[in-house]
Amino acid sequence: MNAWFASRGWKPFRFQREVWDAYANGESGLIHAATGTGKTYAAWLGPLLEWMTGDGETYPPLRVLWITPLRALVADTEQSLRTPLKDLNIPWRMESRTGDTRASIRAKQEKRLPTALVTTPESLALLLSRPEAQEQFSHLHLVIVDEWHELMGTKRGVLTELELARLRRLNPNLRTWGLSATLGNLDAAAATLLGDRAAGARMVRGVVPKTVRIDSLLPEHMDRFPWAGHLGVNMLPQVVAAIEEGATTLVFTNTRSQCEIWYQAILEAKPDWAGLIAIHHGSLERKLRDWVEDGLRAGTLRCVVCTSSLDLGVDFSPVDRVIQIGSPKGVARLLQRAGRSGHRPGVVSRITCVPTHAFELVEVCASRDAALAGAIESRFPVERPLDLLAQHAVTIALGGGFRADELLAEVRTTYAYRQVSDIEWAWVLDFITRGGEALRAYPEFQRVEVEDGVYRVTNRQIARRHLLSIGTIVADASIEVRYLSGGRLGSVEESFISRLRPGEHFFFAGKSLEFVRVHQMVAQVRKGHGEAGSVPRWDGARMALSSELADAVRERLDQARRGVFEGPEMRSVKPVLDTQAKLSAIPGRHELLIERVETSDGHHLFFYPFEGRLVHEGLAALFAWRLSRLRPITFSMAMNDYGVELLAPDPAPLEDALAAGLLSPAYLVDDIPASLNAAEMARRQFREIARIAGLTFTGYPGQNKSVRQMQASSGLLFDVFVKYDSGNLLIEQAHREVLERNLERSRLGQTLERLSHSEVRIMVIQRPSPLSFPILVDRTRHRLSSEKLADRIRRMTA
Amino acid sequence: MNIDIAGTSLELLPERAAFWRERSTLFVADTHWGKAAAFRAHSIPVPYGTTDNDLARLSAAIGKTNCRRIVLLGDALHAREGRAKKTFAAVAEWRARHADVEVVLVRGNHDRRAGDPPEELGIRCVDAPLYEAPFVFLHHPVASTQGYSLAGHTHPAVKLRGRGLQRATLPCFFFTPTVATLPAFGSFCGNAVISPEAGDRVYAVAGDEIVAIPTVY
Repeated sequence: MNAWFASRGWKPFRFQREVWDAYANGESGLIHAATGTGKTYAAWLGPLLEWMTGDGETYPPLRVLWITPLRALVADTEQSLRTPLKDLNIPWRMESRTGDTRASIRAKQEKRLPTALVTTPESLALLLSRPEAQEQFSHLHLVIVDEWHELMGTKRGVLTELELARLRRLNPNLRTWGLSATLGNLDAAAATLLGDRAAGARMVRGVVPKTVRIDSLLPEHMDRFPWAGHLGVNMLPQVVAAIEEGATTLVFTNTRSQCEIWYQAILEAKPDWAGLIAIHHGSLERKLRDWVEDGLRAGTLRCVVCTSSLDLGVDFSPVDRVIQIGSPKGVARLLQRAGRSGHRPGVVSRITCVPTHAFELVEVCASRDAALAGAIESRFPVERPLDLLAQHAVTIALGGGFRADELLAEVRTTYAYRQVSDIEWAWVLDFITRGGEALRAYPEFQRVEVEDGVYRVTNRQIARRHLLSIGTIVADASIEVRYLSGGRLGSVEESFISRLRPGEHFFFAGKSLEFVRVHQMVAQVRKGHGEAGSVPRWDGARMALSSELADAVRERLDQARRGVFEGPEMRSVKPVLDTQAKLSAIPGRHELLIERVETSDGHHLFFYPFEGRLVHEGLAALFAWRLSRLRPITFSMAMNDYGVELLAPDPAPLEDALAAGLLSPAYLVDDIPASLNAAEMARRQFREIARIAGLTFTGYPGQNKSVRQMQASSGLLFDVFVKYDSGNLLIEQAHREVLERNLERSRLGQTLERLSHSEVRIMVIQRPSPLSFPILVDRTRHRLSSEKLADRIRRMTA
Repeated sequence: MNIDIAGTSLELLPERAAFWRERSTLFVADTHWGKAAAFRAHSIPVPYGTTDNDLARLSAAIGKTNCRRIVLLGDALHAREGRAKKTFAAVAEWRARHADVEVVLVRGNHDRRAGDPPEELGIRCVDAPLYEAPFVFLHHPVASTQGYSLAGHTHPAVKLRGRGLQRATLPCFFFTPTVATLPAFGSFCGNAVISPEAGDRVYAVAGDEIVAIPTVY
């Protein structure tokens, strides 16, 4: 192996040798390091060495399984794993298995799996749903889970945990290695990856973090720079100049529509770059994305405007500069994106942040502080989601069936379900066999059948529907966009297309398109004439400021309050902070600033805890609920990463509420679930749960109307369950997920603890302050009312 | 709430039904009986209770009005798969309690697939439209030269905005100069937001009350 490294002019790192030895020793573990530091070969060469020094079996059955979170990474991973096989003359068959795999290869794989297989968690679930799985996976030596940090905090991570438990049961000597970026809680990363075998796991740290340079483009005239907004196109000249400086630049945006808009803007500013700049995001046709990725690798592109779609994996060595439009919202994400440039050990990574509004300058400064302090975020594992357990049980019932006690023992070896109770397990079994308590006497219902203690799926229609619903990704109803001549461009949300009239223009895939018609669930378009048009929006969760970054922002503002403005960004934003101080106040580290202002919309209250959007969503519900208990009132609520707005037609009883414990952490456990808005949030959360548990079904391709009659919105289902089946554990799970998401493991409680000890500073102001402005203009609002519905409606329409 | 329409008057009930006192007739649209059962037949575990609950609400409306006749404005049954014994048993029990009330179904699009309710329920089924001056009873809300149309099908709801950036979406009765659309009676049904124009009248179902909504505001 050393000779092979030498032949390529490399030398193995010490951490790579450590992993090879540990693997040979039968150990499992976790390798953590920044991207581009040789983690792949650390994990992959162990089993190759084992084969070379050991059995040397010519065409071994499936030995190594490589799980990656992104289908887009599969081809690249396959390629980099193949290189040593070829150079070292190892006659292993190496293939991939995803939704894109050709039918002929699939058919071959049904008979016999290759020696090494690259796949995703969803495709692996499909493989495990086949009766042959038990035999096919029993010779496995090693599972490698790539980018484990991306998976571990999600239900896809839990799906992977369940699959690993299954594989370990089929082969007790199985070794598991995870590859992860640096995290604040690596112990949890190992615990979730290895389940009940986490004790004694080998933690291997990769090479020392690369040098990262974080700088930003500053607005020329701060007095003309907006206080709110998220597009940032007014920074276009500076961004174009920055692109001109580098050889190959990645421009990261935070949303797909922002990506489309920036691509158009750059092209308009530099028409001669046509063909040299490209666009890349998750809704574009695979072929278009492949073309862009190949161009990046070959160094033929000058600039690619992208989203998180290029966050992971793929090695683009020619990239020498990364531009981040808008705040990265987290330190880990910032470093990850920075690492896309100089993607080789030892090379400096550079990321340049572009503020989209004034306060993002503070965030850039704060994220540099946090990165320097090594304050990397943690990823919190998901605890026993029963929707996914139900899905997994049906999957295993398809794959040859299971006995209840055996499968329970197996799932309890995972971290996520280590504490799943007998009652919860019984409920899941009841749910998949009889539809749960409420359907006890209903003979027509049968998803899984029990015969001699073995749970199996025999109904073919149910099997087919389950296979189409495997996974945890909730996609919005999307519609494919194609040229009239047939060329595919990608997909947009159905709701966007439904608002277009034939002949109307829109921008998509970086092109001006004219909408022609919808035909058989395809939006047909032709090339546009460059006329102005709308840009599709995709409904994705907005990223929330991490608590590490929020803390650094509070510190920077406290400095500003004391007149300290260090660093170019803070000096640049000073005029805006001065305005804030003049109109209202800059909140100190131990203060809670509350602003009261009346506008034509009504009476506004702004609270500034600086804890990030998710925590603020919980706080908004709690504050509104506590205020509304004092008298009938209706609030509309908005929030951003800095604060919360409660807006009402009349002044809210703020002083009374503060005296009655508005900020108190006491009764939190009772008040949150009691708040009407918590029910509304649970209703929204139920969408994902209903989909995973198989309550809603997105349908077969080209389905007919009679199937559509079987579709109901998850909101409607939620209401029906709450009313008629209140013991349903999926409803309980929805509430639990809301609490966990918003509490972020009691972050809400800690916030209240902090706020209740803060000095409350109420500022009655004449016009909205710079801090309040971005919240004020946000029209995505939640609502809460303690008025009688008919009274409220009469007042609204009076 | 009483409203004047087509030279006669209708009482709008928060039970999501309309009562025509002159002929002692209760109008109900889109009951979608057996919708949950149809889901269950497809192995989607929707709990029991929606049909029972809806029938209880229908009984309440009968009790309030003492009507002698009910006209179902289409989509009585949701789907063929929803023709479950248990659902029909519940409807039969409800029917027995109000045996003296005549029930007429003006068929809608779902009824064509799902089939008529069983004969023993004593529900007279006819194709739309049914003329009874000054009204035309039908399922799809279309204007008629024969009279003022009473219809269902769209499950109308009204979206409201108010001071303090308030929003609310409520099921409603929707009267245009030629057609009235009733809210969906079935509780396991979605709805569609209407865009009223000048001259239309909208009455929202706000909990246990009917509230008139100004269409120009």
